[in-house]
Amino acid sequence: MTGPAVLPAGSARSGSLGRWVLLAYRLPREPSNPRVGVWRKLERLGVARLGDGLVALPADARTREQLDWLAEEIAEAGGVATVWLATPGSAAQERAIAEAMRAARAAEYRAVIEQARVAASGGAAEQTRAARRLRDELRRIARRDFFPPAEREAARAAVDALDADTAAAATPAVVEAGP
Amino acid sequence: MRWATRAGVHIDRAACAWLLRRFIDPEASFVFVDDPAEVPAEATAFDMRGVELGHHGGDCSFETILGRYQLDDPVLWKLAELVHEADLDDERFDAPEARGLDVVLRGLSMTLDDQQVLEVSGPLFDGLYEYFRRGLLLGREPA
Repeated sequence: MTGPAVLPAGSARSGSLGRWVLLAYRLPREPSNPRVGVWRKLERLGVARLGDGLVALPADARTREQLDWLAEEIAEAGGVATVWLATPGSAAQERAIAEAMRAARAAEYRAVIEQARVAASGGAAEQTRAARRLRDELRRIARRDFFPPAEREAARAAVDALDADTAAAATPAVVEAGP
Repeated sequence: MRWATRAGVHIDRAACAWLLRRFIDPEASFVFVDDPAEVPAEATAFDMRGVELGHHGGDCSFETILGRYQLDDPVLWKLAELVHEADLDDERFDAPEARGLDVVLRGLSMTLDDQQVLEVSGPLFDGLYEYFRRGLLLGREPA
């Protein structure tokens, strides 16, 4: 799931410029449902917002396709949308965008860490439920995590610890239940 | 009949090709293009922007084709949930197998060309169809 990150993230570090896919779009103000729907999908994809009605993702087959279909959906909702392949004008520009995306994901991972911390004080059943829910959440975040921040590993560890606590707590119970 | 779709076949296109050949056009042949403008005149395009057999109203192309050809086989619609989640992952359906299927197709697309992906994934979809068929008959997961 982090595969798409390799090329642009690496290129952002080394200074050579990555390829990006851009979606330029305009939607009628009313009805608002399609606008909200598109906004939600863009959030889910983790796009960089470059301006009013202009968003970007590091280009790969998957992101290209995601923005293509979104463009289609916008057109069906009476809007106008075009999809572009682009390289940033400078490495500094690209770094700034990548950093903003990294920071956005870091905030999401921190929210997971906080939820794991709260759940850790609960009972074993609650911890197991929380671990499952937070793993789904981590998976969602990872899909839009093109420039992984340090918080990613911390969040995984925090969720894994919930399971580990539960397993440790469950072991004596199993022993007690024996003959 | 000739059918055209985008090169770099993944889950939705592989599933659509299987569906077309198995349920709509046994003689189907497929051509893969990089740009919608390259679709041959006599071919019907699917899973591309701006065509009838594409994504519409939040449906993936597999669902669109099922609707368009009025295929009401419940097994196919069950399979469609899996394809939808593997392709779009928008949690419209509960299909935990989707992630695995997505990875399998992603891997195949790395080692095979498009024509080969269709050849290899065909029996995979045959198997999934049979699995869901038995599941619907039994009302539980088949052994």
